[in-house]
Amino acid sequence: MSVSKMQKLTVIATMTDADAIIQRLMKLRAVSIEKASDGESKTVLDSFAPHTDVGGAAARVARVEAVLPVLAKHSRRKKKLFAAQAPISPEAYRTDGRFDTAWKVVEETHKILNGQAECRAQKEAVIGKMNAYRPYLSLEFAPDFAGTETSGYLVGSLPGSTRFEKLTEQLSDIAALPTLLSADGTGLYLTLVYHRAEEEKLLRTLSALGFMRAPLPPEKRTVAALYKEAEAELEELEAVLSKLEARLSILADKLGEIEILWDVERTALLAEENKRELAATKQCVVLRGWCPQRERERITALLSVFAVAYEFAEPDEGDDVPILLKNNGFAKNFEWVLGMYAYPKYGSFDPTLIMSVFYFLIFGLMFADAGYGVLLSLVCFGVVHWCHPKESMKRFLSMFGYCGISCAIFGVLFGAYFGDFPLAFMQNMLGRPIEALPRLSILPAEAANVAILFDPIQNPMVFLIIALAVGALHLIAGMAVKAYILCREGKIADALFDIVAYWILFAGIGMIFVAKTAGIIVLSVGAGTVLLTAGRHKKGIAGKILGGFLGLYDLINFASDLLSYSRILALGLAAGIIAQVVNLLATLNSGFIGFLLMIVIFAFGHLLNLAINLLGTFVHTSRLQYIEFFNKFYESGGTPFRPMAPSDRYVKDVSHEIDTSPATVSADMTQD
Amino acid sequence: MWFFDYVLTGQNLALLGAGLAVILAGIGSAKGVGMVGEAASGLLTEDPSKFGKTMLLQALPGSQGIYGLITALVITIKIGLLGSSPAALTVAQGGYFLMAALPIAIVGYFSAIKQAKVSVAGIHLIAKRPDESGKAVSSAALVETYAVFALLVSLLLVLFVKL
Repeated sequence: MSVSKMQKLTVIATMTDADAIIQRLMKLRAVSIEKASDGESKTVLDSFAPHTDVGGAAARVARVEAVLPVLAKHSRRKKKLFAAQAPISPEAYRTDGRFDTAWKVVEETHKILNGQAECRAQKEAVIGKMNAYRPYLSLEFAPDFAGTETSGYLVGSLPGSTRFEKLTEQLSDIAALPTLLSADGTGLYLTLVYHRAEEEKLLRTLSALGFMRAPLPPEKRTVAALYKEAEAELEELEAVLSKLEARLSILADKLGEIEILWDVERTALLAEENKRELAATKQCVVLRGWCPQRERERITALLSVFAVAYEFAEPDEGDDVPILLKNNGFAKNFEWVLGMYAYPKYGSFDPTLIMSVFYFLIFGLMFADAGYGVLLSLVCFGVVHWCHPKESMKRFLSMFGYCGISCAIFGVLFGAYFGDFPLAFMQNMLGRPIEALPRLSILPAEAANVAILFDPIQNPMVFLIIALAVGALHLIAGMAVKAYILCREGKIADALFDIVAYWILFAGIGMIFVAKTAGIIVLSVGAGTVLLTAGRHKKGIAGKILGGFLGLYDLINFASDLLSYSRILALGLAAGIIAQVVNLLATLNSGFIGFLLMIVIFAFGHLLNLAINLLGTFVHTSRLQYIEFFNKFYESGGTPFRPMAPSDRYVKDVSHEIDTSPATVSADMTQD
Repeated sequence: MWFFDYVLTGQNLALLGAGLAVILAGIGSAKGVGMVGEAASGLLTEDPSKFGKTMLLQALPGSQGIYGLITALVITIKIGLLGSSPAALTVAQGGYFLMAALPIAIVGYFSAIKQAKVSVAGIHLIAKRPDESGKAVSSAALVETYAVFALLVSLLLVLFVKL
């Protein structure tokens, strides 16, 4: 439960070793990099910036990435919500041929994609041609026939609204004979035979009607033959397309390999980007970064094979030190909740452990149900155990898994098993009285119920008091952390006056209910201390008096913080009541059909309730930490430690973490 | 006069309360979820991979509708319309349930819309800084507090009354 001690790392290496050092440090995942040229003399160093090829590496990643969705679409592989990472050893992967094979698949896929695009464009063109031919299929002359010496011949169309009779009527005084070929909604398609002497007159009449010549190529073959040819062409294109599609389906089996390739290429890109952060002279590079103190030995071992000079230094005042949290196996699963708010400042208190305990407690209290809790735990831990998700996803799921345990514990205490399912089943399906249920309550006044303590829906006020008590504990824990921080800084007086005085005040308020006079005395001592000391940092008598009263006024804030915990009751009731209604609906019908109906309604209703309340409980439990708890002491504002690391969306590096093979070998390897 | 004798019964007043809780809180949530959905779709056209983050924000203003539903269910159970036999309610008793439903009905409506506005702003935040989505969710969740309190008051009023 602490913020790890960090050290500033500076490495000066030769230019030739730069690639190897960066690649090995990435594998180690223990050093974050900072732009080294910041603060150096730019004019000297920037002119020698190491040669990087970020653009080329990014283009390679993009080329692989473009292929992924295409192959995924054709892949028969089932989609997994929590995909496991494929174990690979990057060096072996590059040399054993898998790298080249994967690239061949990528290139072939790109070729197929280009081929498909080309085919589709051709198909469009052929279909357009066929559409143009279709109305003139019954044409007997080839399209290049233009008539005889004395008679002209025209093929074309009129707008679809024209009536053929009207046309013959209009042409009655011209020596022209129209013949209808076909007609559809968009046009009348026809041929015209006319006397050449009347061509001008005819054309004038026709253009007034909106006549268009047929868009046919001047071919010697008939339109029907041309159409048939186009049909064959189309068929051929379809065949090519389906062949390409089939090839894609075969290539899609290699999807897993391409995903690995994506990670490998992306790791190369990240290496280039990291290299860009280095400062350089003509022969040397300077790397600046941060590392956790406990990683010094591993980093030293890694660097020892290179001709380097390096230095670990303590952070200076004013450095923006990255934050790495260190927590035990339980609490580390809650770090992301802290991260959602803000990371603590370097050197300040890491509240993850205390927060995780209260998170566990409040989550369970807010969503107290043994059925939902066990289900949640089984699903979360099951996925963690069987699907091997990534570390961040593993922590996310583990947190909810632990919270499920808490829900189950409180569920047993308050007798909730998918709401009041045992009761509803007993009463409505079996027709037995409530009294047939075992009476488990250890409290004497409680009616027949499976609860070890009591049923919150029947006794909401008792539950409210429990909720507020947990809230009071939470707030006092927050103040205790503040007192600890003050004491650590040597401000013991501040801890006494700003924290302990309030505790005495609270104790007094509590004691009034038990022993009135003693309570009032304790209360007065506490209130008096606050009144006299809260304004001690203010200037002038008036300021000090005002400060004292403002200190007392803080009680209002405590009260409103405390009442905020009543949401535990509200959300607990909400979950319980929806579950009750689901159970009521599920057990309405009896008999065999009723039993089947019950299973369907039960499964659907309770899954819905679980989803709704999981969101609500998560949001409100987090809020109680962020607003009520952190408010008391938290110093936020750190940036999380993000070490240089290989890309790991699909793969997991299983080779040795510290590569201590001679430097020159790997330097050569990375040259190509 | 006879019309009111039939309509203005205790049971109908209680049902009016249940109805208002569902209707007002439901309209608020529907508007709110809709607003956030529109903003989220705008972002998703640019980057569909942010769906998970935006959906969480979109779901938040939906809870008021659920709170209204819960209140309505508790009222209908309490007056015996779900399950056991209906209780005969006086007009005063029915009026009590109507009053008890008002907090979640009114606060539910307004808080859902206000929460949606914060969520829409949160969507803009996610568009620019996807890593900070937790903060967007947190600020939207702050608005929810008042709906939770209204639910609490409505529930306690309904659960505690002796018929």
